Amino acid sequence: MKAFMQTGRKIKILAMAGCISLFIVMQAAYGAESWRTEFDATCSQATDAMALSVPELQKLIERCVSLQKIIEREEETVRKVYLKRLQMCKKFYIFVLDSKIREQKPQ
Amino acid sequence: MRKIFFVVPILLVVAGIAWAQGGMKKHKPLPYEFGTVTINNYSQQAGMPPVVFDHWVHRQYYTCRLCHVDVGFGMIAGSTKIRSADNMKGYYCGTCHNGEMVHNKKRIFESCAKEYSREEFKRCVKCHTFEKRAAKEDEFYRFSEKMPSERFGNRINWEAAEEKGLIKPVDYLEGVSSKKSHLKVNPDFAIKTKVEGMPDIIFSHKKHTIWNGCELCHPDIFIGVKKGTSKYSMVDIFDGRYCGVCHEKVAFPQTDCQRCHTKPPQG
Repeated sequence: MKAFMQTGRKIKILAMAGCISLFIVMQAAYGAESWRTEFDATCSQATDAMALSVPELQKLIERCVSLQKIIEREEETVRKVYLKRLQMCKKFYIFVLDSKIREQKPQ
Repeated sequence: MRKIFFVVPILLVVAGIAWAQGGMKKHKPLPYEFGTVTINNYSQQAGMPPVVFDHWVHRQYYTCRLCHVDVGFGMIAGSTKIRSADNMKGYYCGTCHNGEMVHNKKRIFESCAKEYSREEFKRCVKCHTFEKRAAKEDEFYRFSEKMPSERFGNRINWEAAEEKGLIKPVDYLEGVSSKKSHLKVNPDFAIKTKVEGMPDIIFSHKKHTIWNGCELCHPDIFIGVKKGTSKYSMVDIFDGRYCGVCHEKVAFPQTDCQRCHTKPPQG
């Protein structure tokens, strides 16, 4: 009886450990997924950049800055690829924003 | 007379230095070599020959933007510093060369491996090339025969090839590219030439954005969005800046004046 209870306890501990590891793995996967979704949503607007307003462009640049901090924590290859991609879209938004601000200034 | 013995050797030395510093004629690439890039950041250290990348093979299938924006390849040879580990993780060349992706009903070969057999080494030398590649040359000429011809560069008019539907470059890769809305193209504009009698340039945003998108050129290559902000001359372009980043290396070369200088002078 005692041996049976001990086995049951072991199974419970193993199941709990399994659940915790699954949670950690899923959280990491979801974390990676969420920054990729945010990256896509931020950088996909490059095609419409000329039609965006100054506040919209400023917001996109802020999102790029926040993303940069997250991507910097990724492993080497992901960091290299995505920081370059992010830089390209951020620089493009800054470039469009500058030109819009210059256009608004009286000559 | 004595002066001759003194002056002639000096002249010979000066001429020798001048010749060594660029007096030699630049090698003009053959059509199949045009747009070829040699990548050798880490290959030789790892005991492999450098990678010889052919733009003509890839540009028939993919837009410039897809590789240089979405995949993340730099615009200067060797600037990306691709490692075999990056490829094996499914980035850079490994984005497509992963042994799984299928294009035109053909499986794209895997790019790199930690260990390889003698048989598998045949796959390595598809990119890490030792010598002149006769098979590649034949493949190029077989391909170019079917394409609209051009006078310079690859002797292929890529733009016409796309217009005729002979090539259909893909601009989106699932899991790699961000889904973008349809690109609103800015109108074409004229760039006034400085040389009298030389036709002005008609710059087509449409032609360029279709393959490059926006962020590939702005602001890294062309800093100004307003016409005339980026001031450059043909010297800069021949130096590989501005239009010269692509035109001469991969896109049609600058010797093909009439491709850009198309607007006849007014009056």
